[in-house]
Amino acid sequence: MNRILSFSKRNFLEIIRDPLSYIFCLGFPLIMLVVMTFVNDTIPKETGMTIFRIDNLSGGIAVFGMTFLMMFMCLSVVQDRAGAFLIRLYATPMKSGDFISGYIFPMFILSIIQSAITFFASFVISLITDVEINVLGMCLAVISLIPTTIMFISLGLLFGTLFSEKAAPGLCSIIISLGSFLGGIWFDVKGAGGIIEKVCTVLPFYHSVESARAAINLNSDLIVHLLITAGYAAVITAVSVIVFKNKMRADQS
Amino acid sequence: MNAIETRSLTKNYKSKTAVDKIDLTIKEGELFALLGVNGAGKTTTVRMLTGLSLPTSGECRVCGNDCVSERGEIKKIVGISPQDTAVAENLTVYENLSFMCGIYGHSKEKTEQKTAEMIRLFKMDEVKNSRAKTLSGGWKRKLSIAMALISEPKVLFLDEPTLGLDVLARRELWSIVERLKGGTTIVLTTHYMEEAERLADRIAIMLNGKIAASGTLSELEKLSGKTGLEESFVEIAERFRKDNVI
Repeated sequence: MNRILSFSKRNFLEIIRDPLSYIFCLGFPLIMLVVMTFVNDTIPKETGMTIFRIDNLSGGIAVFGMTFLMMFMCLSVVQDRAGAFLIRLYATPMKSGDFISGYIFPMFILSIIQSAITFFASFVISLITDVEINVLGMCLAVISLIPTTIMFISLGLLFGTLFSEKAAPGLCSIIISLGSFLGGIWFDVKGAGGIIEKVCTVLPFYHSVESARAAINLNSDLIVHLLITAGYAAVITAVSVIVFKNKMRADQS
Repeated sequence: MNAIETRSLTKNYKSKTAVDKIDLTIKEGELFALLGVNGAGKTTTVRMLTGLSLPTSGECRVCGNDCVSERGEIKKIVGISPQDTAVAENLTVYENLSFMCGIYGHSKEKTEQKTAEMIRLFKMDEVKNSRAKTLSGGWKRKLSIAMALISEPKVLFLDEPTLGLDVLARRELWSIVERLKGGTTIVLTTHYMEEAERLADRIAIMLNGKIAASGTLSELEKLSGKTGLEESFVEIAERFRKDNVI
């Protein structure tokens, strides 16, 4: 446990002392929250388009922020691998479980903080724009996003383990773009219909966003979206753990 | 008692033999230098001795522990300062040291005691609150060695510890390594003749994955018929090349 806590603390400090993590994980999502609120103001009410109204937008932005945590998770692993830092740690009594837990735990804490800040900002915006948003629903959304958090953190671990320092950030950018687009953060998936809707509902991102939206609105759809996201999270986590363990074994063979 | 023993230790990477049937005996408390040009197999040897890599064939024991079946035990008793400076860049000197204490499961009291001891030993008081990324190469290397030493290892591996350092930083690091001599068994890899000559009790010359010769400086001089380590190294390397048709 001591080893996990020490490694977690190190990873936590490495990230919170990197100014880029504030820009990408907090600054950018909050800016999008504000910008899209302005966009929402310009949409005529008669269109009935509510995708950028704060009660719909906040859940999507919370998921959008988590995609950047995936990138930072990936960069942490890939940078440790590229330098000699992991070699030093491989020569200590640390086990693969200590590494995996030590990478995941601080990211999990950071993602909870990130969600809480996003929803707090959403609450402030809701007061300014005079849109009703359920505070209890937002608290529930923080909890409902736990499987999504785990899924993105595990994806970061997977990419960081498998790819090089050059390839990994590019791949993460693709997932960020795909995740936010196919997650239905910026458009109404059901309204789009057809093949787009089919693709979105097959992938986990849409269910992540919808689980947060359902939680905010205290909607019973939450259960279905949550179960689908949790299933994806379990599979991706299992794969990333197996891949990391195998890679660690291969590095020491 | 011997700290390290290897018998026909070999490591192959696909078709390339990085370490070729080497026999080594390193006594407890000795400072042993593995001297060789780049690609001679020094780092691969260190990787096998620290449990970072498995031998293809042969045997090696560190403080009586087998490098294959008792890798876990070996990792508890060795410390390594890798060739590239392996420090957490965004952590301070103090945090890097206490981080390593946590990895080895030291108590809070022991962490404070060992961290203070390393800061004193390596004269790092002025930089203890500086982040590693702001340190010069020399300070980083000192921190890297302190991190390897903080677990009180029975065997300390220093892989090219002065590579890329300026002459003053190199001399300072040498005097630190000299102070460590006698207590911990130290295995030093280097391609600097002067470094091996000044620091090592015994030297093994590695060429093409093999031990071409080993012994004290005077034994190597006697073997080569030359004076000084550099001349002896060149002579031994020439003979080795002829004998092995490299």
